[in-house]
Amino acid sequence: MSDQKTKVVVIGAGPGGYAAAFRSADLGCEVTLIDERDTLGGVCLNEGCIPSKTLLHLAEFIQEYKTSHEFGFSGVISNDKLLLNKTREYKNNIINSLTSGLGNIASRRKVKHVKGYAELISDTEVSVNGVTINFDYAIIAVGSSPVSLPNSPINERIWTSTEALELREIPDSLTIIGGGIIGLEMATIYAALGSSINIIELSNDLLPDFDKKHASIVKKSLIEKGCKFYFNTNVLKIETLPNKLTIHCKNDSSFTIDSDIVLSSIGRKSNAGKIGLENTLMTLEKGDIIPVDAQCRTNISNIFAIGDVTGMPMLAHRATHQGKIVAEVISGLKHKFSNEMIPKVAYTSPEIASVGLSESKNDLGIKIKNTSFPWMASGRNLASNGGDGLTTLHYCPDTLRILGGTIVGKNASELLGEVSIAICMGSTLKDVALVMHAHPTISETIAFAAEKALGTLTDL
Amino acid sequence: MNNEKILLGTPTAYQFCDDNGIAIEMVAKALSKSFLSVEDVQVFFNTQSLAKNKSSKNQASKYWDIDHAAFGDIRIESVDNFSKITAENLSAAVQVIPSVTHGDNFSIQKINDFRQQVKEELKLQNRSLTLLPFIIKAMSKSLKKFPKINASLSADGEKLIYKNFIHIGVAMQTEYGLVVPVIRNVDKKNLLEIIDDLQNLTTLARSKKLKQEHLGGASITVTSLGKIAGLRFTPIINPPELAILGVSKTLIEPVWNGQEFLPEMKVPLDLSYDHRVINGVLASHFMTDIGNRISNPELILI
Repeated sequence: MSDQKTKVVVIGAGPGGYAAAFRSADLGCEVTLIDERDTLGGVCLNEGCIPSKTLLHLAEFIQEYKTSHEFGFSGVISNDKLLLNKTREYKNNIINSLTSGLGNIASRRKVKHVKGYAELISDTEVSVNGVTINFDYAIIAVGSSPVSLPNSPINERIWTSTEALELREIPDSLTIIGGGIIGLEMATIYAALGSSINIIELSNDLLPDFDKKHASIVKKSLIEKGCKFYFNTNVLKIETLPNKLTIHCKNDSSFTIDSDIVLSSIGRKSNAGKIGLENTLMTLEKGDIIPVDAQCRTNISNIFAIGDVTGMPMLAHRATHQGKIVAEVISGLKHKFSNEMIPKVAYTSPEIASVGLSESKNDLGIKIKNTSFPWMASGRNLASNGGDGLTTLHYCPDTLRILGGTIVGKNASELLGEVSIAICMGSTLKDVALVMHAHPTISETIAFAAEKALGTLTDL
Repeated sequence: MNNEKILLGTPTAYQFCDDNGIAIEMVAKALSKSFLSVEDVQVFFNTQSLAKNKSSKNQASKYWDIDHAAFGDIRIESVDNFSKITAENLSAAVQVIPSVTHGDNFSIQKINDFRQQVKEELKLQNRSLTLLPFIIKAMSKSLKKFPKINASLSADGEKLIYKNFIHIGVAMQTEYGLVVPVIRNVDKKNLLEIIDDLQNLTTLARSKKLKQEHLGGASITVTSLGKIAGLRFTPIINPPELAILGVSKTLIEPVWNGQEFLPEMKVPLDLSYDHRVINGVLASHFMTDIGNRISNPELILI
């Protein structure tokens, strides 16, 4: 017996879930959006993308300020309590303004927002707060949570990114276990705030998803900011002492690192196991990943899944696009989601961003050549104290079509969009070179990289 | 996660293909292109669906998709494939070709006199002479004089293809539907040969023995309802030909000779032509030329 009925129920109000709900409502469906939080936006808005970018902005500012003695400022920053309180307030204000904005957008669309823990009880019913809601279609968008460290005690001095972004304190020493994108972003923030940083990584290098030449610029910069890397290193156990944590490590030899705080960022895992899927005939892969087709449909034809629960790459913009596709599919359109052009960004200092094919990411064995323009030759970059950077286009040597791009440098994430458009519109190096870019800008480096390969560059 | 591939079109081109259930790989291959704009896939799709006549079936005809049984007793019979193909071709012709029909009546007094004169002789040869062979022969003479009508427009509308041969299609009703076998090289054949060709094609058509060589490639088609009834009709062009001549039942008209009305036997002819290529003046001249030859059959025979 169902208490309520809705056409579409969306479980999880992160960037995938709310996009799916809003698009669905725009296409004329009656939508119920369920989330445990008071506010919409999920991890991304509440304790992920947005708060981390707020703190990264602060980190950037501190970095800039430290060089301001060149202009006669003191360039000295005291990390007192007031600063932390103010910073938390600043960050929370931004989160509040965005989440309340989302709430308004939801009510304007007449999307019914239910706060509570949702559990599927059949292929057509979900239970929330003791109320059963019958649905025609369900969209599962419950995201992911941090993987907890194996063999690690529960201790308030062992953080995940969630605690790190709460800005509880600025530790003298912070040891980050897992040198992925999240770990490196936290390293960037806390290094700027004054912590001495250790990064322990199981593999032999950082940022394996990015072209090596570019990743090494990020690595060099983090080392200059005081980050110490331990590659090929296993964490055996963490010992909690009254005033510190001792991390027992092993690479070629065994050693220990003492640290005030340990930040675990060894990955995220799908939350699909938490919503009663056992009451349906849903099949899962690798334990908790929901396999979906090109329309994000699960093996149950009226249930769709989007975002982190559908596996890698766990990125907000992927979830958003999937969410819109699903809403359109439910409304009768035959749209499909394509995995091919998902941009990847690490908001480190400097940022690193890539899209499309590159030499290191080329399963097809097709011919790919690179052309790069170094930011040290960009007037705009030097004028704004931008530091090191590199813009690279990956292209087909026969047709000169642009197949991918990797950019490292300040605000690299912002430049990547131009490369995405160029690839998606089938542009060649010549197209990009012939498009007039404003001078002086960092975006010129994209045109310069193209011109370099064409032999028409006059800026190098 | 490793799904990287070289894109075959713009995002909109991909979405258009998804929406319409076509594989972009297939379109790229068909057009021999490495990258497709949304215009490329739209034009490809429209051309395809026009050929299949899908768009008209799905859209226009939805308004007459009604429940006939609601109005009384009905019987339902499936349309056979042969008729379906004919229907699709005719629908495409009507949708694509802006056609005009030009009609006139022409005296066949002299042809009838001539037929009377040779009737006995032909009977001995086991042949009979109707009006149609005269019309076919007259058309071939006129086509030679007006080469622009003996042409076809390329499918993309970019080229006009002139034909240095004269083949005339003759629409024939059979038990299984309408067929248009073709009399080849009419300009090089005399009336007797045309009579024989017509007889031969009629036999083949009725016994369902027409082969590929008997069909297609005509300069023009003639379709005759002459033995049945009707004053006029507007035949549909058989593409890629540019014109079709319809022949209706002969009639007797009073003609003023300056002093009195005299009865005269006439044949009504209706020429439908492709206005993209042929304008009204050319069509009138062509029609008058055919009529002149029919009214004065000595012009056919020389």
